Amino acid sequence: MNVPFHDILVYLDGSESSLTAAMYAITLAKSTEAKLSAVYVVNTRAIGELVKARIFVDAERSEYLTDLEADAERYLRHVVHLGAQKGVVVQPVKLSGTVYSEVRTYVKDNLVDLLVVGGVTEIRSRRDELMSETDRMLRTVPCPVLIVRDDDAIWDNFEQG
Amino acid sequence: MNLVDILDRQLIKVPLVATDKVSVIDELIDVLIDAKHLSPQQREGIVDAVRKREALGSTGIGHGVAIPHAKTDAVKQIRLVVGVSRIPIDFDAVDKEPVRIFFLVLAPLGESGPHVETLAAIARTCTSQVFRRLLEQSKSADQVYQLFME
Repeated sequence: MNVPFHDILVYLDGSESSLTAAMYAITLAKSTEAKLSAVYVVNTRAIGELVKARIFVDAERSEYLTDLEADAERYLRHVVHLGAQKGVVVQPVKLSGTVYSEVRTYVKDNLVDLLVVGGVTEIRSRRDELMSETDRMLRTVPCPVLIVRDDDAIWDNFEQG
Repeated sequence: MNLVDILDRQLIKVPLVATDKVSVIDELIDVLIDAKHLSPQQREGIVDAVRKREALGSTGIGHGVAIPHAKTDAVKQIRLVVGVSRIPIDFDAVDKEPVRIFFLVLAPLGESGPHVETLAAIARTCTSQVFRRLLEQSKSADQVYQLFME
């Protein structure tokens, strides 16, 4: 493990809390001079499940895949832009497949030494806990994980800093 | 995206009173309209989007479950309405079996990621025969809510 961190990866899923995590990661990368990448995984596994369960017809499969690809591009572009505002280069990484395993493989292959995530909600249902992609990611990545609580102060600090 | 994060006690109806496919979809939509005070224009947009999707093929996925869904700008956040009918309803399901458990999922345009994850979470949850049976046996919205929270 490298301390301070040299290769930080922030996980984006389009949620507000993942954007908060991105802001925190940018601030952290700036202060530690670490390399920062941002990853968005197009969840093709979920699409496949929906087709298999016959919830999606073929037309929807194509439509939603196109939408998800566009979401990935949009969120990654946004975080690259946020980084540029702070003088931090953010390397965008778009992957597709099963979210937790794609992130785990990326972390392993690229020797990432810190994963930054947001959006870890209170455990209210055992069933959801078992099925949550984020929880599986936290439990299986081979590096330290920093969970950023969704907090207005992070947005304020980012905008003012 | 966890189901309990979007599950809203106000958006659960047990039992549903409709007795056919078209009216059960309308009833689920009206649960949302009434609980969230949506306008007639928003209702029209939702009905139109759900019916258009249903015209592509039934969202009755088998084992007594249907998941009508649509993208529409009539909602500002993902909405999940859960309904359980005492009477099995013919929904043109893939297994030709009538349906008693309904999940209406509506997502705003531009939220495809959470929309897909919500639908996938429902699909995974409903693979459990035990869970489906417990849902079918639920007698109130509170019972359904508690079932998801376990």
